[in-house]
Amino acid sequence: MVGMSFLRTAAAFTARLNPLKRTCQASNLLSRTVARTEQVVVRHGSHGKRMFIIKPTDFYDRRFLHLLKYYIILAGIPMAAIVTFVNIFIGESELAEIPEGYEPEHWEYYKHPITRWIARTFYDSPVKDYEKMMALIQIEAEKAEMRQLQLEVRRHMREKGDGPWFQIQTLDKNLIDHSPKSSPDN
Amino acid sequence: MPKDHDKDVYPEPPSRTPVEDRQSSLPNPALILSKLFYYSVDLPVTAFRDIVEGIQSGKRSHYYHQKFRRVPELTQCQEGDYVCYYEAEMQWRRDYKVDQEIVKVIQERLRACQQREGPSYRQNCYKELQQFEQVSKAFQSRYGDLGAYASARKCLMKQKERMMAEQQQA
Repeated sequence: MVGMSFLRTAAAFTARLNPLKRTCQASNLLSRTVARTEQVVVRHGSHGKRMFIIKPTDFYDRRFLHLLKYYIILAGIPMAAIVTFVNIFIGESELAEIPEGYEPEHWEYYKHPITRWIARTFYDSPVKDYEKMMALIQIEAEKAEMRQLQLEVRRHMREKGDGPWFQIQTLDKNLIDHSPKSSPDN
Repeated sequence: MPKDHDKDVYPEPPSRTPVEDRQSSLPNPALILSKLFYYSVDLPVTAFRDIVEGIQSGKRSHYYHQKFRRVPELTQCQEGDYVCYYEAEMQWRRDYKVDQEIVKVIQERLRACQQREGPSYRQNCYKELQQFEQVSKAFQSRYGDLGAYASARKCLMKQKERMMAEQQQA
């Protein structure tokens, strides 16, 4: 402790003695005294002094942004090129009246060539979708009707009892032993 | 080039030939700006368009507007015939879209007319105003407050309410 204060006072003394040689003194880090400033403009022949600037790490942020740009451009440039070439070399379709007796395919109702390609390759035609929906509705309607009918039939069979449902099996009447019944008061 | 707009529906105001009476010898800034715009924007864009059309010439495919057949409406369906309900619902939705587009077209005409005529639009665009009022009243009374989940049944119920109100008034 005493040695520290001795070093500090020595550093302050040397700082005051040598006003010019202040740039690379390690004692400047130790001393708490403010060095009297006579700012001397020093002209370096290089880009200036190399500084070790202490700041929090930007490694993770820069890595993230780099990877983001990389993956976006990896898909972006081919897609942009494809769309540009399709627009220039193939071009959009023109509106025309439907010729007599001709039924256009379902993709011929769209304008842009890429939309047409998607409709031709991947999608079902809207007519087919409509028919699929109507088939589903028909199936569900038939199911609902069947269920209603079943409930009605249950009701009838329970009431009247002459149908095949709700019958409780009893013993065969040939198995009944009638012999004790011939002499009742025995 | 794509088709130009309909000149009967969106007429241009009659042009007046100006009498050149230049009093100053300074260059006309409007002329300078228009020439600047022409050489910097109009010419390159038109040239590019011509090149692209030259590449694409002759290989044009066509697209068509789909025509839908009319199917029985909701009032003509048997009760419990869900397939008929579905077809009527789809037809009603198509008609709803068509009516929305009709209203948009009429609005566009009124807007263009107002832009053309300037401050005296109420007098000069009387026809467009009447048309717009009639069309929007009809749209409001038929499809007005049905909301986002509008359906053919709700529209039919709205019509029933309307008819009942009319009968009560009469």
